[in-house]
Amino acid sequence: MRVFYATDLHGSEVCWRKFINAAKFYNADVLICGGDMTGKAMIPIVEDGDSYELTLAGVSQRVGRDQVAEVESQVQRKGYYPVRMTSAQVAELEKDPAKVQTLFTEQMCKTVERWMQLAAEKLKDSKVRVFVAPGNDDEMEIDEVIANAPRVELAEGKMIDIGGYEMISSGWANPTPWHTYREAPEEELTKRMEPMLRDIKDMSRAIFNFHPPPFGTSLDEAPALDENLRPLHGGRALRHVGSTAVREAIDKYQPMLSLHGHIHEGKGITRIGKTLAINPGSAYEEGMLLASIIELDPKKGIKNYQLVNG
Amino acid sequence: MATTTDTAGTSRPTLFLRNATGLVKAWSTFDAFLYAFWSVNLVTLGLYGMSFVYTIPDGQLLGAVLLTGVLVTFLVLTYAQLVSAMPRAGGDYAWQSRILGGGVGFVLAITGWWFTLWLWTPIYANILVVQFFAPLAYTLGWTGVATFFGSHTGIFVSCLIVLAFVSWVITLGMEGYAKIQRFCFWLGMGGLVVMLGILLVSSHDAFVNAFNREAASLFGATGNAYQATLDAAKGSTAGVSFGNFGFASTLLLLPFLAFYLLWPVWGATLYGEVRGAKEYRKVFNAMFWGLWITVALVAVIILLIVKTIGWDFYYAANAAYWNSIFVAGSAAPPVPIWPYPVMLAGWLVSNHLFQALLIAVMGLWFFGWAGTLFLSSTRVIFAAAFDRVLPEWAANISAKRRVPYGSLILMIVPSLVVSAIWAYQPSFQGIFLWATGVIAITFLGTVVAAAIMPWRRKDIFENSPIARFRIAGIPVITITGVVSAIFLVFMLAEWSFNAVYGTSFSLNASSPIYFGVTYLAAIVIYLVARTVRKRQGIDLSRIHREIPVE
Repeated sequence: MRVFYATDLHGSEVCWRKFINAAKFYNADVLICGGDMTGKAMIPIVEDGDSYELTLAGVSQRVGRDQVAEVESQVQRKGYYPVRMTSAQVAELEKDPAKVQTLFTEQMCKTVERWMQLAAEKLKDSKVRVFVAPGNDDEMEIDEVIANAPRVELAEGKMIDIGGYEMISSGWANPTPWHTYREAPEEELTKRMEPMLRDIKDMSRAIFNFHPPPFGTSLDEAPALDENLRPLHGGRALRHVGSTAVREAIDKYQPMLSLHGHIHEGKGITRIGKTLAINPGSAYEEGMLLASIIELDPKKGIKNYQLVNG
Repeated sequence: MATTTDTAGTSRPTLFLRNATGLVKAWSTFDAFLYAFWSVNLVTLGLYGMSFVYTIPDGQLLGAVLLTGVLVTFLVLTYAQLVSAMPRAGGDYAWQSRILGGGVGFVLAITGWWFTLWLWTPIYANILVVQFFAPLAYTLGWTGVATFFGSHTGIFVSCLIVLAFVSWVITLGMEGYAKIQRFCFWLGMGGLVVMLGILLVSSHDAFVNAFNREAASLFGATGNAYQATLDAAKGSTAGVSFGNFGFASTLLLLPFLAFYLLWPVWGATLYGEVRGAKEYRKVFNAMFWGLWITVALVAVIILLIVKTIGWDFYYAANAAYWNSIFVAGSAAPPVPIWPYPVMLAGWLVSNHLFQALLIAVMGLWFFGWAGTLFLSSTRVIFAAAFDRVLPEWAANISAKRRVPYGSLILMIVPSLVVSAIWAYQPSFQGIFLWATGVIAITFLGTVVAAAIMPWRRKDIFENSPIARFRIAGIPVITITGVVSAIFLVFMLAEWSFNAVYGTSFSLNASSPIYFGVTYLAAIVIYLVARTVRKRQGIDLSRIHREIPVE
């Protein structure tokens, strides 16, 4: 069985399309998206008579009505949400953070819904199974959208049998400086994992799909930040920011495979005892899908694995 | 829910952000500048590299430094654009692999960032000896220590010291090393200001007297050591004058200056996530000012050497020293150690304790910089291991101390072997001169990749902040890439075929052999890995194959 694992797409339309197409491209039997599907930013495309104004990557531009769809697609490619609005609406949003939050949620759900439809169309004649476990950056509202999707399975908090291998998933992470949507203290993360861990019959054939990487490995090193969230020493100084709860679970239960994301810079593979732990990293802003292909064999367990830059 | 806005010159917000991981404030340009500035280290690499320019007496060094600065600026522009377009790619290996193909990327990066860095170990060690151990020991009257570092065993021990220091820095991690760098930067700059101040306020006559005094006091030289030094190099430096300007000869100085001025992009593997055009300018500024502040300081040093030490003497002292090592039958000069400008400036103050202190403080230019030796190498080895081209253990890290022992073994063990060759088989030292050239070939691969990126990886280019940078419709990255490529090809041709350089194939039979072995070894490793992985069911060619979007 061939598993294709990618994570932290952060709203990138291109990466999601590649993720779905990876099934055919790599002959994968299972696709797993490790969380953080939703975008971090919303770009107002401001109507001004017959033209629109927007600023993308620090560059301001004015486009005609016939070009606006094209720039929206550029914005989506970067993982941002393009929203057409008037300058009055922009001013209103600026004054009211609650309205911004509502608009974000609306855009996220709309985009995830479109992505689910896309998966259904692309995979309608395929037997591939697709799993998503939303990550700490994903708001709760998207769970329902995924749960209702015809061709994508919501994996959060469940033990799922995939071809004789048992996978447990959680997108919850240890606290971050950004106070995101699915964060909890380490003890609570352990409590969240416990019921799923109890369901696993054979750890030598188990897959942990936990968004945060295990603490103290090469998979969890992120730039050290000062109190103003400014990277120290030009971003060169790295610190371990993974989850101790995830690390303890791996140390204790020694699953066959452990899949992670969350730390985009932490691309790598490491072994923790008998467990092969992988963080493929993320380069969603470039439209590049960093991923991992893992070949599972009924006798050998993990037959081989590879990181790819699709 | 946090709403952040970015006005970008307009009165209304152009972006709404929500709470999400990784939304960090911009890093300080000074921190990034510091890394670039250390990479083109004007004291360790600069003064050492420029001590060989006496071989081209008609060249105008100051003009060549400025010209190299201009040409390397194109390289800086090219790398800054690559960092902006492919920020997470992580340097030469990933850029070349994605644009030129995995095999080409592996061969060029592994030769430049793995095999060649072994050669840099004894070069670093030699710099440590001539700029730190030897002058410090002589100044303190420890002649036995100074002469020990000139012996075969002493040279090997100096290599071991460098390897131990570099390994220790790697175990400290980047954060610890960055603190060391910052400390060394400020104290080292203080030392440089003192040195320049002494040269500024002292006259040429005072220098002649000081040189003769210390030559007698520290080395037992008799008579006019200053004149004797000039005489010792007469055959090599006849007609030398700072005012000499032969354009062709000045161009020939560029390959010497590349020894230090080519490296402001050394930290390109370390810039991390970058967002948008503003950050492009930040990356560019860091590398650009690292380069040009160095160029400006070198210009000041050159002018002060002309004023106080004397240009003819500077050339003669270097010629006399290097001839005594490399030219059979050449007599040792009256001051038989490398004419370290810091030491010479210190002699203008008649106090051995002060002189030793100045040398020790200026030694921080070495210790703040030497940690960079294997940092990029370990990253490239990690990347190759993650790509399954190298074995998994190459990316292993110890559980307790977080030491990347796999990649360190791959760096240290071969470095020990080449250090022993350097120390005990001086006839092979010619190949070490290619230490700059092989990395220049790696850079050439990257600038070629950059030049063709707008066509080879149109998707990435068109959606990057650099897509709008065009001149007459041609992408700026293509223009800067082509100019950089011409510059690098010029230097590679000179290093290979001009007998002025010790790297020349005609002078140094071991150079082409070294080249052949290096690149062949890289190709063999890649082909073996490809075959072995294929048997394991892993197709290496799919690592960089792009998944269709539609």
